Amino acid sequence: MAEEESAQKMEEFRSMAIEDDESEQISGSFICCVCLDLLYKPVILACGHISCFWCVHRSMSGVSETKCALCRQPYLHFPSICLLLHFLLLKMYPDSYRRREILTLEEEKKEGTFSPQFDALTWRSGDEEQQKLSHSSQSHMKCSDPNSSMDTGSFRNGEPHASKVQSEPIEGIDSYSPSSPKQDLKQERDIIVEEESAHPIGSDQSCKQITASDVLCAECKQLLFHPVALNCGHVYCESCIVYPADEKLTCQVCKSRHPGGLPKVCLELDHFLEQQFPEECALRRLTARPRLAISENGSQKSRNSGADNELRNSSRSIDTSATHFGVGCDYCGMYPIIGYRYQCQDCIEVIGFDLCGDCYNSRCKLPGRFNQQHRPEHKFRLKKPRYVQNYMLRLVTGQLDDGSTSLVFPNEGSEDGVLLTAPTSPSDVQEDAENGLSIDFVFEDEPDSEHQNNSQSNSN
Amino acid sequence: MIDFGRVQKELQECSKDSQASGIKVSPKADNLARLVGTIPGPIGTPYEGGTFQIDITLPDAYPFQPPKMQFATKVWHPNISSQSGAICLDILKDQWSPALTLKTALLSIQALLSAPEPDDPQDAVVAQQYLKDYQTFVGTARYWTETFAKTSALGVEEKVQRLVEMGFLESLVRSTLDAVGGDENLALEKLCSA
Repeated sequence: MAEEESAQKMEEFRSMAIEDDESEQISGSFICCVCLDLLYKPVILACGHISCFWCVHRSMSGVSETKCALCRQPYLHFPSICLLLHFLLLKMYPDSYRRREILTLEEEKKEGTFSPQFDALTWRSGDEEQQKLSHSSQSHMKCSDPNSSMDTGSFRNGEPHASKVQSEPIEGIDSYSPSSPKQDLKQERDIIVEEESAHPIGSDQSCKQITASDVLCAECKQLLFHPVALNCGHVYCESCIVYPADEKLTCQVCKSRHPGGLPKVCLELDHFLEQQFPEECALRRLTARPRLAISENGSQKSRNSGADNELRNSSRSIDTSATHFGVGCDYCGMYPIIGYRYQCQDCIEVIGFDLCGDCYNSRCKLPGRFNQQHRPEHKFRLKKPRYVQNYMLRLVTGQLDDGSTSLVFPNEGSEDGVLLTAPTSPSDVQEDAENGLSIDFVFEDEPDSEHQNNSQSNSN
Repeated sequence: MIDFGRVQKELQECSKDSQASGIKVSPKADNLARLVGTIPGPIGTPYEGGTFQIDITLPDAYPFQPPKMQFATKVWHPNISSQSGAICLDILKDQWSPALTLKTALLSIQALLSAPEPDDPQDAVVAQQYLKDYQTFVGTARYWTETFAKTSALGVEEKVQRLVEMGFLESLVRSTLDAVGGDENLALEKLCSA
């Protein structure tokens, strides 16, 4: 009976979809090309095209590179959700976005794998420092375990960081709280209705509510001009991206590396900004032009093409024998992982928690891509690619590329892995050497000293 | 699990401008996984004036896997099997992208009708004829269009009437005729066996 009722409710929500679309008039720029619905938890690919978190993940093959659904540019890394766009859409289309949220959560519950949950407060109250802080302390991308939130009752109560971020008075939509898997749909709907009556947001005015402060560059803190998104989901003006001479591009906010070359401008967002802020954009164009000109004359262009070449080369030289089919890195998003793969021994989620060699060595502190409850003290095991499986997969690649949502192949044996602890003590390295594996733990790779301190304090 | 929300949206989009494009998609039954697409033969080709029905089956992973499409109407074309109606088109195979829709796929098939690629044939016999004896090819293609792609549209009412007179329900007759592509005998067979 209960199932039937919930099924009926879901039907109601689905039928709401059509009404919502009509009442909120979603701009064509923000329709996902895959699900043909309002973007939900948007991800901006390196080619500048936007899609939903799950749409991108399901599009990715897990066997080799994936091509963008729109422009067919190949990519290997699953970028993080673009929070700027996430909260922008939430502000513009609150009804449709919540409807998407409820439906997506229902699907996630069925599959037992969840997308990252965000807290609007963390994002809104952030000046740069606070954002950095929150990012390194994991509250930036919140982790909610459906089971634990069931125990603690409320989603927020289950969060250790919720107390520290409520500094500013919050207007209307910022009081949004991500629904917990625990909450009943009906309750959910009631809450929405209450909020709406308390803060009536006319659909016509929703666009007017967008201010320049919603769409600021992470670097220059001005209105975004020719926005580009890095792999970590942070958005910059194209001209604000500093491309280091020989290193990889690094995000100034979260210090994570951007794989591949300079990302392309997100044209949909750019068009939207031009429409919303024509004057500001014109002003920015005047001021930005000299910088662009310099970068065109200078080495940026050649670097850009160099990076493109690099990408093309890398796509050619994918080594199938070192590919972990169907397994993605939970930090940089590389999917499938090519090269070293470290599997967490303590994460209980179906989807598992894995890191690629680079990310393992940089000891990142972010939670998983799928809301895993990964802790810094968890132990890792180095997994070798399964040669037999790889061989079979290569034989029947076409059939296995079925877009199924299960990420992890059953790991029956443990004979191919070596148990690793966090690489903080020399004895661990010795242990590895004993097992015939030569792994160089590069401590210089730490992005900054603060990070290193973190890692030490966390491992204690 | 097929994304039925998306399929429904696609159907809505398609019906909005079906007047202009001539392309229709309708579900076969309540199950949205099986549909029928209709495309008009392109003007200036041997297929002009015909209406071609295409069976569509959506795989579980749709839209991340291409829809399975097959001509229900018999067609004489180098890239379409004259026996089974199987279509040789890259976007229905490895070049599929989740950003494509049933409508864009049907548009591509329509484009394939006007621009055959005999070097990558599905039906070797037709492809040989296309390359060696183009005039005969055009004649055969036109004859097949006249025979198979037009009758279904013309005599539908008469067929419905005849079958209703045999004692079948009119709604059932119409849906069965739709399902078999307008072939009266096949419909009768199906109606009797049901």
